[in-house]
Amino acid sequence: MDHTYLHSKKILLVDDEPELLKMLRTFLTEEGFENIVSAGTVKGGLDMARAESPDLAILDVMLPDGDGFSLMRRIRTFSEMPIIFLTAKDEAADKLAGLGLGADDYVAKPFLPQELLLRIYAVMRRCYKEENGLVILDGCTVDFSRAEVHKDGEVLSLTAKEHIFLETLARNEGKIVTVDALCEALWGDNPFGYENSLNAHVRRIREKIETDPSKPVSLITVKGLGYKLNTRKYGHEIERKEVTL
Amino acid sequence: MKSFRKYLSKYLASFMGLVLLLLAINVIAFGWTFYGVVTKDYGDFSPQNMLDTTAAAASLDGISEEFSAQLRRSHIWAVYLDMAGNAAWGIDMPEEIPEHFTIQDVALFAKGYLADYPVFIRNTADGMLILGYPKGSYMKLSSNYFSVCAIETMPFFVMGIFAADFAILFLAYFLSKRKILKNTEPIITSIEELGTGKPTALSVQGELSGVADSVNRAAYLLNRQNQARANWISGVSHDIRTPLSMIMGYSKLIADEDSLNVEVRKKAEIISRQSIKIRELVQDLNLVSQLEYEMQPVHKAPIRIASLVRTCAADLLNGGLPDQYSIDIEISADAEFTTFEGDARLISRAMNNLVQNSIRHNPDGCDIMLSLNCTEDSVILCVADNGIGMSAEKLRDLRERPHYTESTDDRLDLRHGLGHILVRQIVKAHNGTMRIESEDQKGFQVILIFPKATETRGVIRF
Repeated sequence: MDHTYLHSKKILLVDDEPELLKMLRTFLTEEGFENIVSAGTVKGGLDMARAESPDLAILDVMLPDGDGFSLMRRIRTFSEMPIIFLTAKDEAADKLAGLGLGADDYVAKPFLPQELLLRIYAVMRRCYKEENGLVILDGCTVDFSRAEVHKDGEVLSLTAKEHIFLETLARNEGKIVTVDALCEALWGDNPFGYENSLNAHVRRIREKIETDPSKPVSLITVKGLGYKLNTRKYGHEIERKEVTL
Repeated sequence: MKSFRKYLSKYLASFMGLVLLLLAINVIAFGWTFYGVVTKDYGDFSPQNMLDTTAAAASLDGISEEFSAQLRRSHIWAVYLDMAGNAAWGIDMPEEIPEHFTIQDVALFAKGYLADYPVFIRNTADGMLILGYPKGSYMKLSSNYFSVCAIETMPFFVMGIFAADFAILFLAYFLSKRKILKNTEPIITSIEELGTGKPTALSVQGELSGVADSVNRAAYLLNRQNQARANWISGVSHDIRTPLSMIMGYSKLIADEDSLNVEVRKKAEIISRQSIKIRELVQDLNLVSQLEYEMQPVHKAPIRIASLVRTCAADLLNGGLPDQYSIDIEISADAEFTTFEGDARLISRAMNNLVQNSIRHNPDGCDIMLSLNCTEDSVILCVADNGIGMSAEKLRDLRERPHYTESTDDRLDLRHGLGHILVRQIVKAHNGTMRIESEDQKGFQVILIFPKATETRGVIRF
């Protein structure tokens, strides 16, 4: 999935360590993000959130004049912007507190730049998906906003379940998504015993998106684990990058 | 507690033995001295001897000068009566002794005293020899009669006294042992618990309350120290995170910067890799210390373990596994829908650590297999690789001394890392068991067995 469309989004960074803010700013800029604002305190962060109305906030949990959770509560009084927490603690209690308040994700320090970027893209794609619904696969294009597959000049429509299935995989392009996560996305909290239905969906989706459904190149089965979706533009690139790391 | 019981029994029993020994010594000492008084002190001048020798030498006609001299030396007077009761002769007879004795007189003094002189008599062929000893030299029992029946029961009587003494002693032993145990048991138990590092609060009244206070104080100090240590580790690991974020961030940025010299980028890549190792160490260290001092609440909920295994394998593969490694999973049909009470985060962490260990110990690559099986009452999770394995000696080391804080081998942590310790603690927190199997060059596998019903089984097992 192309995520350059997200680079115009405004990101608010709040951390009391200026060096860390500088580093975050550096690699977000290098990644292509154009609008970055930052603050070092709860008060500064709140003013910035009001004045700049950013599209995403990355908050440190420990701030000199309070904690990130209270900052989030105050931001929530006027904005529904997605929020990712950065914290130097890895205790489960903090995590629950953060997500329970409605945080979108949580990144524990120390982190690699890629790890934070992945979370930022995942959260942004979830929140701003309607702006770009196109995924280019090997042999076809999936238009999520219209639930359609364009293949060889043909337009095939996706059912609701197929749409969810493909979207879940597309959000994690090139990554394995377990059958459990897919069943949960399709059938909710108690996804026991849907493996056969899942297989049926996979068969039908392959007929729609694959050039040769018996030799799939986009929707790949990972034996015993789940499935992954290789997109033409980014899938292979990401895989190559990982090998060189 | 058992050893203390034994210790107490031993010492009380030896005390009882001492009392019995003392009794025996008394009896023997009494017999010995009394025998001495009767035989040694009087010896040749004892009434028995005097009667024998004097009677043999005496007749109605008198006695030799030699014998009368001997009697005089011993301050003994003598009188010889004929058959009619008249004194035939006498030596140093006191004035109050008559010249003639009636049958009644003889009957009276025969067993006792004659005019307050203790007298001893001996019948001879033609009369009777009477020896009188100085007043107050001997005491004669003139009325010593016992029924035969009483004498016959005497041994039983003595035995009975001994038996009663023994019984009383044993009762005293038993009661004092019970009393001591009752008073000291809570203290001993607390001290034993202190050894396991558990907090203890002891409440004892009476003489031993001082000891109980000391134990409580020790427990409190120990607990506070553990707390301080855990807080310290938690604080250090917290403070290290922000600077480490920057080291990891910038080294990665330099390593990925296309415009830079390749050598510089390689060096930055090494810094990046090493800082990731520090991150793992810091995370493990904190969790290990939290679990060790039981400061980490274990959030147990029913988890579908098959799903967890798949997620863990997928995360590892998605995280970018180098080409020389492969991960496969094998989940048995009956394990597919098995759930058990556990902390999903901790179980994932354990699986992840075991896989990372396999990767770390096999730089040339290996195939890693995660398998899940279940029995009636337990879930069996196995992480195996086909790598270089471990020699029997090292395996024994790992099994016996998994905790490098308990080991004097400085290099143990370098070989095993904190990974294994953490896995062991996670298994312990779930009341499970852990088995390690390996052979040199024949792979390494760790088998974790978790009871399905953690709560009830946990109570029985621990």
